Amino acid sequence: MDLAHAQTLVEARSYIAALADNARSVEASSAYGYVLIELDRLHGDESPALSTDGLTTSRDVLFAVANSAVEELLGHGLDALDIELLLARLDEAHSLDRL
Amino acid sequence: MYGENGDRMRTELAALLRQHRVQHRLDPSGSQPSGDRESAGLLILRYRHTVLSWCTQAVLAAKPLVFSTALPAPANPFRASNESGAVASELARALHAAQESSTAGNATLEMLSAPSDNAVVEHWRSVASAAALAEHDTNGSAAVALTAAQAEALVGDVAAITQALVVLDHRYSNTPGWEKLADRGRLGWAALATALDVSLGQPDYSVDQTGWRPRTKVLRGPVRPGVLGVLQAEHNLLVHLRSFPNAMNLRLIVDSQRQVSNSLTPMAERINGDYAARWSARGTTYAVIQQQLRNIGGRLGHGAPAVGEAANASARVRALPPDTIIEPRVLAGFQTLFDRIDHRIADIVDDGIDRGAFVERITIPKLGTGAKHLIIPAAEKFIPVTRASDLDVVRTLRERLRPPPDSGPASPGQSRADLHTAILHRPASRGTPSEAPQL
Repeated sequence: MDLAHAQTLVEARSYIAALADNARSVEASSAYGYVLIELDRLHGDESPALSTDGLTTSRDVLFAVANSAVEELLGHGLDALDIELLLARLDEAHSLDRL
Repeated sequence: MYGENGDRMRTELAALLRQHRVQHRLDPSGSQPSGDRESAGLLILRYRHTVLSWCTQAVLAAKPLVFSTALPAPANPFRASNESGAVASELARALHAAQESSTAGNATLEMLSAPSDNAVVEHWRSVASAAALAEHDTNGSAAVALTAAQAEALVGDVAAITQALVVLDHRYSNTPGWEKLADRGRLGWAALATALDVSLGQPDYSVDQTGWRPRTKVLRGPVRPGVLGVLQAEHNLLVHLRSFPNAMNLRLIVDSQRQVSNSLTPMAERINGDYAARWSARGTTYAVIQQQLRNIGGRLGHGAPAVGEAANASARVRALPPDTIIEPRVLAGFQTLFDRIDHRIADIVDDGIDRGAFVERITIPKLGTGAKHLIIPAAEKFIPVTRASDLDVVRTLRERLRPPPDSGPASPGQSRADLHTAILHRPASRGTPSEAPQL
């Protein structure tokens, strides 16, 4: 994993973790947690540490940047179908959070 | 488990002690003056020998841990205070002598398992089979784990059972072919003195929870309806947690416990506020652990069956209607399972970090944008995890998840009081002489 890939992965993990921490319900938080675990699984659990310090608490902003970071992973050798499935799960978690 | 076998021995002996006119009971038909009574008596002698064997073995196993409160410590510091002269040693010696001089021999497996038509013999068979099973609970590796206070309780139980055997020996002495206990008076007094000595100390009746117990198995078969299905999944999760999960599977399990606790809390509130408060705190603790585990990785381990049961528990608890009423017994079952799962998860993380199966993720340097250097190193030092307590997640587990040990003293239970009452029992209508041990 090169540095740019690692940096993108850290961003994606951090934004999804922040979404889980700021979710309005336990179910939505768990759904974001599953997305995070799925992202780690795609990388063989060799992901760098995340940090949510200093991130915004706005869920819409976090969702947008998380989406963008996950899409950006496509350029680092991940399978396009895996990325699409991940985005779908992220979207599902976000809709659960808006209920 | 010693509690079950000890309880059965005491209950059956108490029932025997409450029976009078024994000769009539041994041969209720009265058709043959001595034949039936003699054969029943010989069978009872085999059962009694089995009980004596257990008593001797148990007191020998517990004796090194029983320090007499009655005797002053010997002046010579190199001489143990629980050697000769201590009451437990005297009881062990008297029991050994009684067992050695008994010619009956232990009851065979057929004798222990074949039920008898005679109620008296059947009581004796029950006592003997419980004594045979109790050998698993008090000898060998079980004896090594005994504490001094538990050993006191065990010796107290042996003393009470020995007193009962002495009283019954006196009562059965007219049975044809009966073999009296050797030196019955000394055995009775040794048992009495031991019981007194133990009562002056502080016996720990948690000894009832020690000993052999059957291996816990997965609850198979159809899914139980409603909240029982959640209980079933939680039980199966605990059983599957015997195998070590990898870090990702552990995160999934932790998440399921958070969901189960949070979902059950409002249902528990209507029945038991204490449980509701504890489960709410448990849910919060698991949320913190879940956050802290994000930066823990590790591919060693398995845990797929445990994750399957964890997913079952989450899915079933989500499917429960919000107005579900949970019985107090089911609530207590959840609490027991939660305590054990919490302990197991804490053990898994501790062990995983100690043996290197779980590792802390590294913080990577950042790419600079407009600064002098293209790559900005991480603004923190890399500290190797030399001790498990260096990690936040381990501190959380130790401080918040592990349930505090149950500090309340274990109750002696009803059967011990019953046996003591039965030893002193005498029929109200007849002025028979006392059957208490005599010199």
